[in-house]
Amino acid sequence: MDVSFLLNGETVELSGVDPTHTLLDWLRRTAGLTGTKEGCNEGDCGACTVMVREPDRAVSLNACILFLPQLNGKSVWTVEGAAAGPDLHPVQQALVDYHGSQCGFCTPGFVMAMVSAHVNGDTAHDDALAGNLCRCTGYAPIIRAAEAAAQDPVPPHLAETSTAPSAAPSPHAPRSSDELAAIYAEQPDATLVAGATDVGLWVNKALRDLDPVIFLSGCTDLRQIKSVGDSLRIGAMADMNAVRDAVTPLFASYGEMIRRYASVQVRNAATIGGNIANGSPIGDNPPALIALDAVLHLRKGDTRRSLPIEDFFIDYGKQDRAPGEFVEAVSIPHQPDRLKCYKLSKRFDQDISAVLGCFNVRVEDGHVAYARIAFGGMAATPKRAAQVEAALWGQPWTEATIRAAQAHFPTDFAPIDDMRASAVYRLGTAQAMLQRYFAEDAGLASSVLEVSA
Amino acid sequence: MALDSQKTEGFKQIGTRPDRPDGVDKVTGRARFGADMTAPGMLWGVIVRSPHAHARIVKIDTSKAEAMEGVKAVVTRADFSDAITPAPGMRGEMWNVLENVMADEKALYDGHAVAAVAATSQLAARDAAKAITVQYEVLPHVTDVDKAMEDGAPVIRDGTAEASVPEGMHPNVVRYHESGQGDLDAGFAAADLVIEETFKTEATHQGYIEPHACLATLGGDGKGELWCCTQGHWNVQKVCAALLGLETSQLRVTASEIGGGFGGKTAVFIEPVALALSRKANKPVKLVMTRSEVFRSTGPTASTSMDVKIGMTKDGTITAAQGIFRCQGGAFPGAPMEFTAMCSFAPYNLKAVKQIGYDVMTNRPKQAAYRAPGSPMAAFAVESVIDELCNKLGLDPIDTRLKNASREGTQANFGPKWDRIGLVETLEAAKAHPHYATPLKPGQGRGISCGFWFNHGGETAVMLALSEDGTAQLAVGTPDIGGSRASMAMMAAEELGIPYENVRCTIADTASLGYNEISHGSRVTYASGLATIEAARDAVKKLCARAAAKWGIPEDAVKWEDGCAVPSGPNAGDHDPLPLAKITAKMGATGGPIVGHFEATPEGAGVSFATHIVDAEVDQETGKTNVSRYTVVQDAGKAIHPTYVEGQFQGGAAQGIGWALNEEYIYGEDGRLQNAGFLDYRIPVASDLPMIDTVIVEVPNPGHPYGVRGVGETSICPPLAAIANAVSNAAGVRLKQLPMSPPRILKALGKHG
Repeated sequence: MDVSFLLNGETVELSGVDPTHTLLDWLRRTAGLTGTKEGCNEGDCGACTVMVREPDRAVSLNACILFLPQLNGKSVWTVEGAAAGPDLHPVQQALVDYHGSQCGFCTPGFVMAMVSAHVNGDTAHDDALAGNLCRCTGYAPIIRAAEAAAQDPVPPHLAETSTAPSAAPSPHAPRSSDELAAIYAEQPDATLVAGATDVGLWVNKALRDLDPVIFLSGCTDLRQIKSVGDSLRIGAMADMNAVRDAVTPLFASYGEMIRRYASVQVRNAATIGGNIANGSPIGDNPPALIALDAVLHLRKGDTRRSLPIEDFFIDYGKQDRAPGEFVEAVSIPHQPDRLKCYKLSKRFDQDISAVLGCFNVRVEDGHVAYARIAFGGMAATPKRAAQVEAALWGQPWTEATIRAAQAHFPTDFAPIDDMRASAVYRLGTAQAMLQRYFAEDAGLASSVLEVSA
Repeated sequence: MALDSQKTEGFKQIGTRPDRPDGVDKVTGRARFGADMTAPGMLWGVIVRSPHAHARIVKIDTSKAEAMEGVKAVVTRADFSDAITPAPGMRGEMWNVLENVMADEKALYDGHAVAAVAATSQLAARDAAKAITVQYEVLPHVTDVDKAMEDGAPVIRDGTAEASVPEGMHPNVVRYHESGQGDLDAGFAAADLVIEETFKTEATHQGYIEPHACLATLGGDGKGELWCCTQGHWNVQKVCAALLGLETSQLRVTASEIGGGFGGKTAVFIEPVALALSRKANKPVKLVMTRSEVFRSTGPTASTSMDVKIGMTKDGTITAAQGIFRCQGGAFPGAPMEFTAMCSFAPYNLKAVKQIGYDVMTNRPKQAAYRAPGSPMAAFAVESVIDELCNKLGLDPIDTRLKNASREGTQANFGPKWDRIGLVETLEAAKAHPHYATPLKPGQGRGISCGFWFNHGGETAVMLALSEDGTAQLAVGTPDIGGSRASMAMMAAEELGIPYENVRCTIADTASLGYNEISHGSRVTYASGLATIEAARDAVKKLCARAAAKWGIPEDAVKWEDGCAVPSGPNAGDHDPLPLAKITAKMGATGGPIVGHFEATPEGAGVSFATHIVDAEVDQETGKTNVSRYTVVQDAGKAIHPTYVEGQFQGGAAQGIGWALNEEYIYGEDGRLQNAGFLDYRIPVASDLPMIDTVIVEVPNPGHPYGVRGVGETSICPPLAAIANAVSNAAGVRLKQLPMSPPRILKALGKHG
């Protein structure tokens, strides 16, 4: 494939690129830019963080799970470009002044995560840096440096975006959903690459050869998020930060869960369509979407169909998606915000869920008028708690009803033991979540943060 | 004994906080780490590793790989020195290193290297590695320390045990330690309360963000160059030379910038393999571990199982203490059980004490040092029991520790009498700290723990060369793992009387200095610092001699003040002070280059104690712990660069928080490591940690010219226990197993766990 982009302000034109060549490998081995580090090669440590400067924002990304074709037409900045000549960027100077490096291996990644947050005026430093691991400092000097640099102006070379070149259209990089539909129908065995936060691991860790591939990053129409009729329609290519921004005013707990479910770098790349389509039993969007009674929109060629999202997940690794068919969008019906998402993971930030429970219960006249409850991590697919729901419908919204409903969890779920949690823990905490939802509704202090584990 | 020339105040540089000399390198990406180096014509190496925890290697077929395009060399155990044989008893450590670097007859753990290949690209090397077929006969395995000691447990390697191991023990128990003093029975009888508990800790990884990496060039003539990330390049040189049958001096090793080590980069893993591949291919070979290889194949710390029994009177006096510490260190001897045993009761002045250690082999990777190896686990067990005794007897945890504290002149639990130590000062500082007086909120618990580490001196060589313009080039041999280039430059500047910025400190390669022991044992600021001071004094002596010659007076009539030679004594005459730069400007004509140097094995490292205070809260429904406040109080002897001392305090505490709450090696029934990646081995991120507060206590070490004590390791000794005590007090139930993960806490609370 041919790829063109701006690298630290200068044009790069590549031809005959292997579609799964990562930016990190290219930077370090071909371009000779070794400032960007490889710590894990799976998007967990942030040492390879780079910045893509978009017209309205800066986007930090993990270069290790970013394929070169995803950068076509983008403006990419690495640690080597953060300073303007000998003049350090304010975050670089602050990291020196506040002794933010010990060994310094993670520092370039922190620099670029901080540069991105600085461009965006983002001062939630713990959030902005949750995707960067440092093993030396305990983070305090780094956070102090971020705070110190926050007031400095964005340096001119990063303040504005230059127009980035874009390589000629490729059959592997459609520029609209219509083009995608046509190409994919012709090559139904192709691998679709959206944000590559999962596909990147297939290449880096599983060492799989993916051929052919179709990159979706050019399908800008699939990024749209808008109200259509009585629903919020989210395009499949909407990244998880965009989804977070869109759902937070409507479903605050869902927005908060997205904040925690991955680092900024991963959220910037990951798409809601990818998270749904790969069908993982521990994907964090499906339980929330199931609880919200969302509808999934699929397309193959010119044929479109819609289905309740829970019907999409058939079995472990098996979804209701035909060859050549792709996820186009998901619609969430507008409704009162009764949703609570409880995410249990070993570590608070950026960790895979052991259990994710999403509860959406409406109470009218003291009785349950509506109940949709779904879980991740409790079965081979994201799954509704159908018996628990049934035990709630029409019943008085009381402690006794909760206790009665809790007894139905073992009917709905037979979770497994694995290294993230035992079956007993999963089942027990799932039951506790219902109790927590009820207590919270009764006004007892609690939040999605406090029930994290 | 105190050094005659010890100086602990009146400094110009020491105690200030200048920027580190490598600061800009690190924020701009200019700093070159292990994987950042390339060589013309370089090949990529990949190692083939065992998927089995324990298996006999029946056959390795490399023919298919060797025939592949781009493949230039394949090596197996046969390509290493056959002069290294398992010595009787425990004298075969080099054999153990070789056995770990490349398996011989048996694969001993999941991830054990069995072959390696070098090819023209990393992709080609990976493909070739897949094409190497290894036929295994899978053997029974054991990965748990207690199970490895049981009758009938699979034997890792028979005949390894030292003579000191008591008869009748399982052959996997290979070393034994016993120390102590006094009458235990009488001591326990005198107690008002005796508590005996069993504790377990899992193995944790040092978790440095930089994977091991090296670039090796070795010719058939036995001459080689090696670039690698290591805590000790002279050790790498020595080990590689032995494993490859080279003359040590023919292999020049350069230490790259090091992206974290914490003890884990004191060992040698991939360097001999890269050299063997290079020798066979006659080309440079680069070898970089994946993150998964780092977890599976480099040393985590030991896991432990411990029984601790302590007796106390109602007034808080400890009457007797006993600990039994079982440590597994993987499929090789060397778990740091003697350190665990000796550190266990070190903070306390005990009349009756006994500690026993067992070194147990299992089918896990060879453990490596991790920041005060062995000590944090001991503190976890001992300090938990002391906390429980204080709770049951209604005693203040700091007052009780003060009452029993080790002091100068009291006898250590492992024998010697303590020199000047600072435990009491850390306890008093902790007691006086506002943190200790702050009331706890509902649901919170507070934990206190002391911790101890020996610290180390070790072989050290330093050279300081003056330049004509009056600046100084300082060459040290201890890789900088915590800001030591700054502190070395400060000490040199202090002695020379020149600005800090005028000293450039670099880490010399093995060809440029005498042997330097590894950067371990918290020895760098102590030993390389001492050597730097002495090397600077050596240079000052030579500077004074030049001034004396110029003035025509005896050398002993010149002294050094504020960067100048000045006449000293009544008969020295009247001469204007002669600044350093004026002497060096003419040094070529007045006797040649002025170079100071110092070589020694300093032995006055000075032990270090710390006291930590932790507040934590526990969610009773999910078992999730939040560390809400953390204060580290530690004796630094003398803080050269206080910010970097604080950095060590905070870093150790942060690692301790991860170890206590979340991090662990998880092995499946098949003996394979389940969580060999940062995705499932979760180290703390910024939001997991409070801003860790620090207090530097300075009780000068008599063995250092400025009173320095090592600080790098002691900071990880108290956290496991301090957090466990905070969590136990918050949860209302004693936690006796690490990590204190949410399911484990819920189980302890009697809920679904």
